Amino acid sequence: MLQYIVRRLLSAVPVMFGLSIILFAFIHLLPGDPAATILGQHARPELVAAMRQRLGLDLPLWQQYVNYMGDLLRGDLGRSFVNNRPVLDDFLIRFPGTIELTVAAMIYAAGLGIPLGRFAARRPQSTGDAIVTVVSLLGISVPIFVLGLTLQYGFSVQLRWLPATGRIDPRLTIEQVTHFMLIDTLLAGRVDAFIDALRHLILPAIALGSIPLAIITRITRAAVLDVANEDYVRTARAKGLREQRVDGRHIMRNAWLPVVTVLGLQVGGLLAGAVITETVFAWSGVGKWVVEAIEAHDYFVVQSSILMFAFIFLIVNLIVDVGYAFLNPRIRYS
Amino acid sequence: MTVTASRAPADVPETLLDVRDLLVRFRTHDGVIYAVNGISFELGRGERLGLVGESGCGKSVTNLAIIRLLPKPAGRIEGGQVLFDGEDLATLPENEVRHVRGRDIAMIFQDPMTSLNPVITIEEQMVETIVAHRKVSKRDARARAIELLGMVGIPRPETRLKSFPHQFSGGMRQRVMIAMALALEPKLMIADEPTTALDVTIQAQVLELISRLTTETGTSLILITHDLGVVAGMTDRINVMYAGFIVETATTQALFERPSHPYTVGLLHSMPRVDAHEGEPLIPIEGRPPDMRNAPRGCPFAPRCAWRLDRCWEDNPPLEPVERGVALVTTGPGATHRIACHNPPLPDEAELGRPTRPGHRPAPAPEGQLDELATLAAVVDGVTAELPR
Amino acid sequence: MATTVQGVRPGVAIEERASRGLWRDALSRLRRNKPAIFGMICITIFVTVAILAPVLAPYDPNKGGLGPSFAPPSSEHLAGLDKLGRDELSRVVWGARISLFVGIVSVTVGLCIGGIVGALSGGIGGWVDTVLMRAVDVMLSIPGILLAIGIVAWLGQGLPQIMLAVAFTNAPIFARILRGSLLALREAEFVTVSRSIGSGSGRILLRHMLPNALTALIVAATLALATAVIDVAGLGFLGLGPPDPRTAEWGTMLTDSTEALRRAPHLIFAPGIAIIISAIGFNLLGDGLRESLDPRLKR
Repeated sequence: MLQYIVRRLLSAVPVMFGLSIILFAFIHLLPGDPAATILGQHARPELVAAMRQRLGLDLPLWQQYVNYMGDLLRGDLGRSFVNNRPVLDDFLIRFPGTIELTVAAMIYAAGLGIPLGRFAARRPQSTGDAIVTVVSLLGISVPIFVLGLTLQYGFSVQLRWLPATGRIDPRLTIEQVTHFMLIDTLLAGRVDAFIDALRHLILPAIALGSIPLAIITRITRAAVLDVANEDYVRTARAKGLREQRVDGRHIMRNAWLPVVTVLGLQVGGLLAGAVITETVFAWSGVGKWVVEAIEAHDYFVVQSSILMFAFIFLIVNLIVDVGYAFLNPRIRYS
Repeated sequence: MTVTASRAPADVPETLLDVRDLLVRFRTHDGVIYAVNGISFELGRGERLGLVGESGCGKSVTNLAIIRLLPKPAGRIEGGQVLFDGEDLATLPENEVRHVRGRDIAMIFQDPMTSLNPVITIEEQMVETIVAHRKVSKRDARARAIELLGMVGIPRPETRLKSFPHQFSGGMRQRVMIAMALALEPKLMIADEPTTALDVTIQAQVLELISRLTTETGTSLILITHDLGVVAGMTDRINVMYAGFIVETATTQALFERPSHPYTVGLLHSMPRVDAHEGEPLIPIEGRPPDMRNAPRGCPFAPRCAWRLDRCWEDNPPLEPVERGVALVTTGPGATHRIACHNPPLPDEAELGRPTRPGHRPAPAPEGQLDELATLAAVVDGVTAELPR
Repeated sequence: MATTVQGVRPGVAIEERASRGLWRDALSRLRRNKPAIFGMICITIFVTVAILAPVLAPYDPNKGGLGPSFAPPSSEHLAGLDKLGRDELSRVVWGARISLFVGIVSVTVGLCIGGIVGALSGGIGGWVDTVLMRAVDVMLSIPGILLAIGIVAWLGQGLPQIMLAVAFTNAPIFARILRGSLLALREAEFVTVSRSIGSGSGRILLRHMLPNALTALIVAATLALATAVIDVAGLGFLGLGPPDPRTAEWGTMLTDSTEALRRAPHLIFAPGIAIIISAIGFNLLGDGLRESLDPRLKR
């Protein structure tokens, strides 16, 4: 088991390494001059040259890469061109907002998707199954921004039930300690603010969670249907076990395996989707920050954020793989 | 037709299972599958019955129907009764059938590699079976599980209890299945091809184990197999099934001594035997089993039968005693030998495996019926005939 | 115990009649798949609108001042007017061109890149396979549209950049699928059979392996078209769309609507529905193709 975890950890190293090379290559090898991109199309050549020097772009390629890797390993992700602050610092301030959003979206997607998938699988080809299928088709076909805007219009503009933008009512001043709004409001002892923050979270989480919801529903349905046809489920029934136990223990215990893997993979989609969701809902997190950085040509911010997102995605899937091993004795005991 | 214990001779056992006119159909998108077509048979207490036939002939479906585990929603019992200990399992509410399963009727399935849940320990799978039907503590259930594993010959059962199925070999897994099946001392054990997936060397061990434990506990046994060699030493009586019908039923001894249905004759001749004479050929049963999507018409075996007459194509013969006029006994060592055939092979024909009476030719197939014998002849002649669909 | 087997099993001859060719079987199954038919109808609408945009669009998509800004839908302007008083419906109709064009080109480019990588990887194997698949792992570790955002951010805005960006997000998936089917097929029984009856390896590749690998790719490409339409609009929504702000592009049009959610909600619906219809079309067709090309999936 330990061996498996170590092996899995080691396998992530070349991917991280490759990731750094590819990100490096994007900046330095693809046509287009980042210095020119930063300064805009009509910048004077001297300025561009100065910028190239400042970025170290005049050095030989291998040296650029060594510098870049060295910085990376020291946790130096460069500085923002806009405010000259270390990128990592700003990232860490904004990341909690993204975590809050993605975790809420995941809870929504898994919390609803798994029961829906089980429901549909129990009655294949029924009306209920058909409705679930249509809903999951809409889930993967409706883009986040269309759903987000529609939710805003319906629930904020028309019904006025929920706030449309932001993480909390700007009139409430809460001391930012952890930068997790839900935690900070509780630390401040402000239940009203906590509820307000929670209300702000609902629409973005639904918008962001809709695609994972659809995928998780589909996978759960397929997995449960698959397992339900296994011989050992027939054995369980032949032993005279209650249907709840056959379903809850014998089927679900196995159906979890593909579902868990897919949950991990959805994290990637959630992080990417967060970029759009945060833009729609003016949610201050890494995603919105990245979009602002793109507009400002603040390319260290963009590059580092992508690197960090990919890193987090890898870590999450590593954790998922270990969790998978715990669920699956065939891996645990090998 | 039912023979109850009170009216029967002394050596007729008390009836445990009485299947009457069982009709099972599957309704799929591709049409109806006529899986079991009104079969009747009985099983006495402590009796061991073999159910023999090619795959797809309805053996497994019969048994899944008995414990009401037909694949839902396609498979349904569409007629008949399954009287078990006097109760009709076919109409019993689901909740009560559940208690019969595992407690009164236990099943062993074909593939031990897939019949145990891979992510649950042997301990839990055994304990849950016991706890589902008896009010016992988990500790007692666990003690019982250890005892059972010991009974089926698993070494160090205390430690092996914590294992997962993949840590056992196929033979060992089937032993675990047997232990689990015997956990509640069932009245009937149904073993569905229990050794087909195992190595030949392991097969005999597992069969011996099933045979010994069911005899010791007085458990009735239904053994499903396509292999006549397996049932020979294991059962008291045999039902031969074909296309969802019982085509021959007899005591094991009578069946081997005097096979009377062309299909049984074919089965015996397509099986390699140790006592075969030098140069005696294996004769395969020509053609394929019928497409169960077609409603039965005439004798189902007619397309492959060398003994067939014209009426065989139109008229499905009922299951009747080989010797007319004897009192019908349905269970026990004195059970009546019955076949469903219009033109049974004579003893010497059965011995040879083909019809020898002068002037006999298999009756030609009427328009629209598949004739497997003609198809075969065409292929052997090197002529690829256009086949009727 | 000396026994000889007599007679021939006619099974082989009989199986022949059942096979009617993969594609014809698949087509007949597809024709019975109602969701897939519905998907094809959606796609037909989408493609027709894109091709016939100049004929179908009631107004010039870039002509402003047709009426008051943000005018709601009326009988003259079925989808209302946008901020500059342009006809929203005409813009949505012209937007179909961009979506279709960018979608098809990017998926085709992605197929080419992914196809080459996958074929090299699965065909050659060894260290080539290891290196290429590691690279694919890396690309797949960058979550979806983020990779596209990164590429457009560095290459600058423009349709070719967008197409390349979306192509790069798809390519690793195609590469992995092709490699996977090549590896699986190399060991597949029917390939072993044709090799043992003496078919040359080129013939094996063409006649047997390719059609099977292709089916998986066709399904993936169809589904990728749905993602491509959504991703292109997503880039547009984030302000990374075509550089000319006047271009009628669905995602860019939606960005405009965010500013006026209260005054002009109609601006969400026309482009929103257009994106949804095309995505549903490709998703349904992809699922339908998967089910009909792989008979094992038949329920």
